[in-house]
Amino acid sequence: MSSTLIEASGLTKHYDGFSLQGVDLTVNEGEVVGFVGQNGAGKSTTIKALLGLFPTDGGTSSVLGCPSEELSRTSGAATKEQVGVVFDAISLPEHLKVADVSRIYARAYATWDAHRFQRMTTEFGLDAKKTVKELSRGMGMKLSLACAFAHDARLLILDEATAGLDPMARDEVLDRLRDFVAEPGHAILMSSHITSDLERIADRIVCIDAGSIIFDLPKDVITDEMGIARCRVADLEKIADAGMVPEHELRYLRHDYGIDVLVPDRYDFARRFPEIPCDRMTIDDYMTLTLKGGVR
Amino acid sequence: MKRAYLIEMTVFRDYARQLVGLGLLVSLCIGLGMQTPLAMPATLTCMFFMMSAMGLAAYDQLNHWELFRLTLPLSRRDVVLGRYAAIVTFGLLGMAVGLVGALISIGAVSALGIGGEVGEAFALDADLLGPMAFVTSFTLLIGSVVASVVTPLYFRLGQTRATQILPTVIVLLFVVPVVILGNSGMLDGGIPGMELVSAALEALETPAGMACGVTACVAFSAVVLAISAAVSLKLYERREL
Repeated sequence: MSSTLIEASGLTKHYDGFSLQGVDLTVNEGEVVGFVGQNGAGKSTTIKALLGLFPTDGGTSSVLGCPSEELSRTSGAATKEQVGVVFDAISLPEHLKVADVSRIYARAYATWDAHRFQRMTTEFGLDAKKTVKELSRGMGMKLSLACAFAHDARLLILDEATAGLDPMARDEVLDRLRDFVAEPGHAILMSSHITSDLERIADRIVCIDAGSIIFDLPKDVITDEMGIARCRVADLEKIADAGMVPEHELRYLRHDYGIDVLVPDRYDFARRFPEIPCDRMTIDDYMTLTLKGGVR
Repeated sequence: MKRAYLIEMTVFRDYARQLVGLGLLVSLCIGLGMQTPLAMPATLTCMFFMMSAMGLAAYDQLNHWELFRLTLPLSRRDVVLGRYAAIVTFGLLGMAVGLVGALISIGAVSALGIGGEVGEAFALDADLLGPMAFVTSFTLLIGSVVASVVTPLYFRLGQTRATQILPTVIVLLFVVPVVILGNSGMLDGGIPGMELVSAALEALETPAGMACGVTACVAFSAVVLAISAAVSLKLYERREL
């Protein structure tokens, strides 16, 4: 039976001009959960709330069974031994050398594996004598990822961790993430705007918009089952009349060349409407149709 | 707390190295300028307390380190107590550097055979040790008080905002009371208990009195830092990062 490593229920936080509104989120053992949404939608705020970096106004959340509000207290700090966190930019004082970063982590984590860190930084092409300030964004992210991988974490919480990486480095990181999550008891929560990464690695996609969870679906349902029908105006009427999708759930997006329609089962759709082209759905397409599309 | 303390020491290490070098130079200049090694450890003790309190806070906001630090297996309590332990360590390091500077200057003046007033002032004299210890412990108290005032502000407001309001706070705490007391004429002998202060100052001229003075300064510094740490704990507990 898989256990739940992250659990949030009704997480609420109010700021001037933005609120996190009743966020529900789970990450189970063996899962990679992709966390998507537009800029300012609430991804980073949710992650920080999960990590107990600020008090919330409502709801509950826990990480590895420890309530989030306890994580920054003496009672819960030890739980973070098993959590690797990477933010969207390197979060270490810029005068530190790569070798100093290893020293800091060695002081912070009882399980710090300096050899593994050294091996990874070498593989990533990081010079131990370089300072954080001298690293490019991509190299900085590699350093952060090497840190997250080198202390026997069970859970990785990655906030835009692949941003700034070149395609080859992203491939390498995704392979490592895949290996990580294959180990028993491990899981990953990964926010990203690079949805192609999530299509390759995620098991589930959770989308947040304006502080509320919009959808939480297995990735395969989106990319393997759903489709996007490229219609003309008349086709939309035909699809609606066929009753394949309840009319109030028929999502579409008008553009200059026609109408894109969200199709829940593209194989069934292809049988019923062979004359209407139907493409494979991507996470980007699904997000766009869900967030910007209309409903009949 | 030990983890947070060691992390602080690692983060501050390079700056501390520069401070030690700079401190040694400053202490030698002060010694030569004042023509006595008396104030060398005292100046550096005070300077290191203040510079470490401000310097450590400055690193907090670089690359959101303050936020990220709490994703490490540390509690907010660890962070606060680690910070105070680091400030005290660097303050004491300043004292040590000042003492080394004083010994170097005494040794150099003696080795170079410099005579006259300078040679006399830098002669190794056991009578110098008592006043040096007292002046050093008094500046330790000053450094502790300043660190104790600024550190809770840094923990509550962050380095940027705290630095903006610190001049106002310093004026309110240290200048305004003196001005008010001065204008009221109380400093001219009207303050109740001034006789006690005068008696205490006289007692400092005896070895036993000086030992008591040193002990009182160190004890008062510890109390002030402990109270400040307790306030910082409360403030940082509620801080939204």
